[in-house]
Amino acid sequence: MKIIKPDIAFINEINRDTGFSLKSCMQCGTCSVVCDLSPKNKPFPRKEMFWASWGLKEKLMGDPDIWLCHQCGDCTTYCPRGVKPGDVLSSIRKICYYHYAKPKFLGTILKKPAYLPFVFAVPVLFLLLVLFFAGTYIIPEGDINYSTFLPHKYLNTSFSVLLLFVLWGVILSVRSFWNALDKHSSGIDKKSNLFKISISVIKEILIHENFKKCTTQKFRYPAHFLIFWGFMLLILTTILAIVNVLFFEYPFSIWHPFKVLGNIAGIMFLAGCCLVIFQRITNRKNNSIYTYTDWMFLISILIISISGFLTEFARLGNWRLAYHIYFFHLIFTWILIIYLPYTKFSHIIYRTLATIHARYTGR
Amino acid sequence: MEKRLSLYICTGCGIGESIDTDALCNVAKSEFNISTCKQHNFLCSKEGCELINRDISENNPDSVIIGACSPRVHKSTFVFDKSIIVERINLREQVAWCSKPNDEDTQMMAEDYLRMGIVKSQNILPSSPFIEDNLSSDILVIGGGITGITAAIEGAKAGYKILLVEKEQQAGGWAKNLFKQLPQTPSCRELEEPSIYRKIDELKQLSNIELLTSATINEISGQPGCFNVQVSVSNEIKKYKVASIVMATGWKPYDVSGIRVFGYGKFKDVITNIEMEEMAREGKIRRPSDNKVVNSVLFIQCAGSRDPEHLPYCSSFCCSATLKQAKYIRDFNKDSLVYVVYKDIRAPGFHENFYKEIQSDSNIFFTKGEVINISEEGKSLNIEISDTLIGENIQVQADLVVLATGMTPSNSEELNLSYRLGKGLPSIKYDFPDSHFICFPYETRRTGIYAAGTLRAPSDMTACSEDARGAMLKAIQCLEAVKRGEAVHPRSGDQSYPKLYLDRCTDCKRCTEECPFGSYDETEKGTPLLNLNRCRRCGICLGACPERIIDFDDFSINSISSVIKAVNIPDEFG
Repeated sequence: MKIIKPDIAFINEINRDTGFSLKSCMQCGTCSVVCDLSPKNKPFPRKEMFWASWGLKEKLMGDPDIWLCHQCGDCTTYCPRGVKPGDVLSSIRKICYYHYAKPKFLGTILKKPAYLPFVFAVPVLFLLLVLFFAGTYIIPEGDINYSTFLPHKYLNTSFSVLLLFVLWGVILSVRSFWNALDKHSSGIDKKSNLFKISISVIKEILIHENFKKCTTQKFRYPAHFLIFWGFMLLILTTILAIVNVLFFEYPFSIWHPFKVLGNIAGIMFLAGCCLVIFQRITNRKNNSIYTYTDWMFLISILIISISGFLTEFARLGNWRLAYHIYFFHLIFTWILIIYLPYTKFSHIIYRTLATIHARYTGR
Repeated sequence: MEKRLSLYICTGCGIGESIDTDALCNVAKSEFNISTCKQHNFLCSKEGCELINRDISENNPDSVIIGACSPRVHKSTFVFDKSIIVERINLREQVAWCSKPNDEDTQMMAEDYLRMGIVKSQNILPSSPFIEDNLSSDILVIGGGITGITAAIEGAKAGYKILLVEKEQQAGGWAKNLFKQLPQTPSCRELEEPSIYRKIDELKQLSNIELLTSATINEISGQPGCFNVQVSVSNEIKKYKVASIVMATGWKPYDVSGIRVFGYGKFKDVITNIEMEEMAREGKIRRPSDNKVVNSVLFIQCAGSRDPEHLPYCSSFCCSATLKQAKYIRDFNKDSLVYVVYKDIRAPGFHENFYKEIQSDSNIFFTKGEVINISEEGKSLNIEISDTLIGENIQVQADLVVLATGMTPSNSEELNLSYRLGKGLPSIKYDFPDSHFICFPYETRRTGIYAAGTLRAPSDMTACSEDARGAMLKAIQCLEAVKRGEAVHPRSGDQSYPKLYLDRCTDCKRCTEECPFGSYDETEKGTPLLNLNRCRRCGICLGACPERIIDFDDFSINSISSVIKAVNIPDEFG
């Protein structure tokens, strides 16, 4: 039997974030009963509420169940004591991003609004450096052509370098996360077909199987679906475009299939963002709380989609400020991508892994 | 002597349409020879009552029998001279309204009810109340704790003279040992300074309270309205006469040294909540073993309570007390950790708010569980807990373990009643002299003595204050009822009482044994001696007496058996 030592700092961190009602939990178990996603055996979020209120951080960091939660808010709505288990779990997930962040200081920087200037400074300086090397830091004359401002080879190369750095961070985080999951489930028989499980989990994520089960906040399913698929298609278009410009003419005409696909994806992305923002502001049914990190992620993707469209319109309309808008758009895109392992965006990694691991241990 | 009876049958409210009332009159005339037998279609009207009153003044009957509606209605309509027995036969609700109209069986039923009513009024006597001489109006309150003081203040405010007896040198009881008191004012989230001192001041300002400290009850004899009380105050016996008694002698903590798993007595750092309160009051919460500052404390709830081998009941106050003491520890040392292992947290009343307040402290940890072992490891204690909320056994280290000990009632024999059935108050369960709280609030099985506070049932201070008011009201009710010669609850208002035909008594003493309220003492010769004001009119002695010498004027073995015999049994059943 291990001696229990509560981690007070951890409790206070949840308390300061969205889980301030955490300690009022009286362990009635209503949350686990109303949750449609909770497994029958050792259901969440009841046990997570107990671990959290006792400050058992280590247990929670390796707990796959906090990632099975889709934060639909059923538990928060039905809690008889006004505790918000959904928000507590969300808070624990946030702590998880920073817990596994490699290098650690990037996690800290993205946690607090005070570091926001630094967050912007890195991509801005980096881009300016690229412009300096490309020798194109003067706004070009004539028709708008972004490749004259920032040639593709410079853009793609510099971006790839950054991506490699991100990938390194992701690999380190994933390794320690997976180890923690293994440690948490030690003593439980694991299934052998990890590959098959992974395929089925990814398929589930692609069709948003579990999101459909949320009852109190029905909008979350379509909203997340639009953002997810909008983002995926945009990535696809970007890759296709990069491949394309290596061999063919740039810029594309507006009716080029890649362009059409990109525009449709952009509209989906923007629509999804707007839906989430609208619901966050108007839906007071379960009184969920959103903090800096929640808003930062959402606002940055909103700005990316809007500035993306503006960039496109500026080129077509030959606006004078086109290059400025393009620069702005690039900054935000980079912010989203290079900080991926340290923001809420990293749920795309942790959630997928945790779901696979949960299935792997028979949950 | 044959009684003169007059019968009045009402034909209104559907009685006339359903029953042949002329035939009823014939039964009265032919079988019972009753000459005055009148019918009226609206007997409860002014004219109907005038009809009866005129007959009373002319014929001067012994009994008036009214065949009309239920005796539960028109109670004040059919009231005549006290010497006249009024018997109500319920022809309306029990016959006309619930049976087939004008049927042979319906008619037979009405006739039987009539026969029973007539026979009953032939066999009973008009009753008049018995009122003792030299009745007192003072109330004795025993125990000067929060309950006793509150009861005394409330009684004095209601205008009665109160005698308050406290065995300690100062009034205040357990409440004055407290460091802080649980919240009692809204929003009930902050600890308060003990309110007992304010109450003691209030008590001292009331002129109609006589407070005796260092005093014990030497003897109580007599009965409600005239209890003779001997109080021993510093080797001197003082005599008083009181009408009723509020008993608030409080509680004793349960001795936890018998619960081996907790190691109380074995480990110096395992203490009780009483000792914890003492440390807090002295302003230093330190480990008894090495006098060092306490950094972590584990509270064990239900230390003895809710355990069939110790106290099978919930002691009610210990959860709230632990919440309070957890706050003490957190206030004394802001880095301290507090663990609470409970069976269920029960925070009665508004203590729920305080519970939530305490719960919200990051450094306080609650779990359901059973402590299975405590061992010493280095300088701290290792506590193993099973059946926790997370479904696995856990182990916690703490500097100090506090046992939330339960309540046991103080010994009610301190009353020193000179009753034949014993000095104290009988208890039904767990030694508390409680009665069924819904039906008999604050009643004990000694009439005129009302138990309140922790003597009655385990309770916190809020509940004690409530109890004090309730019990004081009952004591006042009792002394007022005695002054009118009436029974107290539940037969409140009943003025009849048992009469003993002692010439035929064989001194078998069954009545003295069987009376649940200890009403019977005995004379020097061994003959039962009824203390009438202790009687609750339950009638158990009537059934107990093998000689059948105990009767009420308006209710006797003879009257009931005659009534049963008066029923006309049809041939097919005979």
